[in-house]
Amino acid sequence: MGRLVYAAAMSHVLYPDYYGKNVGPHGRKMVEELIAVVREMGRELLATRPDALVVIADDHLNVFSFDAIPAMCVRIGRSVERMVQADAIEFDQALDGLPQRYPLHEDLANRILEEGMEADFDFAASWSAPLDHAFLSPVSTLCGDTPSPPLVPFWVNCFVAPQPAARRCYAAGRHIARVISEGPWRVAAIATGGLSHFPELSLARVGTSAPSFDRHLVGLMEGGDHDTLCALTAKELDLTGSHEFLNWMVLMGMTGPERARVRFFGEMGRIDLAAVEWGTA
Amino acid sequence: MSRYEVNVLLFRLKKDAGFRGRFREDARGALVDAELTDEERDAFVRWDARRLNELGGSLHLLISIPGLGGH
Repeated sequence: MGRLVYAAAMSHVLYPDYYGKNVGPHGRKMVEELIAVVREMGRELLATRPDALVVIADDHLNVFSFDAIPAMCVRIGRSVERMVQADAIEFDQALDGLPQRYPLHEDLANRILEEGMEADFDFAASWSAPLDHAFLSPVSTLCGDTPSPPLVPFWVNCFVAPQPAARRCYAAGRHIARVISEGPWRVAAIATGGLSHFPELSLARVGTSAPSFDRHLVGLMEGGDHDTLCALTAKELDLTGSHEFLNWMVLMGMTGPERARVRFFGEMGRIDLAAVEWGTA
Repeated sequence: MSRYEVNVLLFRLKKDAGFRGRFREDARGALVDAELTDEERDAFVRWDARRLNELGGSLHLLISIPGLGGH
C-alpha cells in the first residue's frame, strides 16, 4: 500500500532580491530566514525517500492564456521543463540557473487524472505546460543540489475568476490521497503560495497584506479545523489576497484532519510568509 | 468591456518580444487590429497599468511584462 510520507505548504517567492528591491532590507532578511527553514524542511522531506513529489501550485498567467484556463490541471508525460521568459522581471528571474528539465512520475499523474475522471473530477491534462516559480522556487529550495524526486505538478486556478471553491479543492486533495493510498508508492506533497498579498488582484493595493486574516488561517490549520477552512468563500479569499490558499486547501484534503505545525510565520507588510507542515503517520 | 481582448494583448506583450518591441515603438499602430474599446485602447497607448487593471487586465501580467511591468 502506498502512503503519504511528507506534507507541507510554503510561500513560493523564495527570492531575496525580489523582496530586497520591493520591500527593503526587512523583506530580504525575512525571506532569507524562511529559505533557511525551507531548506531544513527539504532535508526532512528527502529523508523520507519519496518515490514522487506532488506539487500543488498555481499559474501566474505564464502557461495558461485566456484562451483556456483549467480549474485544476494534472501535468502528465515523462518530463517537464521550466518556464523560459526573455528579459524576465524579478518573479521570473527566480528560475534563472535552475535545471531546464525535471522528471515526472508518469504513473501517479495518470492515476490521479484517470481515476479523478471516474470520480467526477473534471481535471484538465497537459502534456506540455512548463513550470514557473510557483513550482520550481520551492522545489529547488527544498532539494538543493539533490535531484528532485519525480514530480507530479498539479495546477489550481487561483487568479482568474471564477476560481474553484475551497471545499472543491479540499475534495480534490481527498481524491489524490485515495489514489496514493491505493498505489504502491511513497509520496511527498507540497502546496505553495501565499499567504495574503495582492488583495483583490488590484494594482492599487499591491504592497498590502491581511495579517489578521493570515493569523486566523494559521490558527484554523493548527487546530485542524478543516470544516471552517472548507467554508472559506471566494470573496473573502479575494478581498484579503489569499487566492493561493486554494493550493493549501488541496494539500489539507490530502492530509485529512491533521493539526498543522507552523515552521515559519512572518508579517512583512507586502505579504505574510509562512511554512507549515502536517503529520503523515 | 472586452476583458478577454485586454488580457490576450497583455499575454502577447509578455511572451512575444517582437510584438512588445513594435508596441514600444508605436503603441497605437501595434494595436490597430485589436478589438478594443476606445477606453481600453487609450489605456494601452498611455500605458496606464492601473487603468488597464481596473478594466480587467490581469495583475500578474501587468507586473511582469519586460520593460513595462514592475510594481
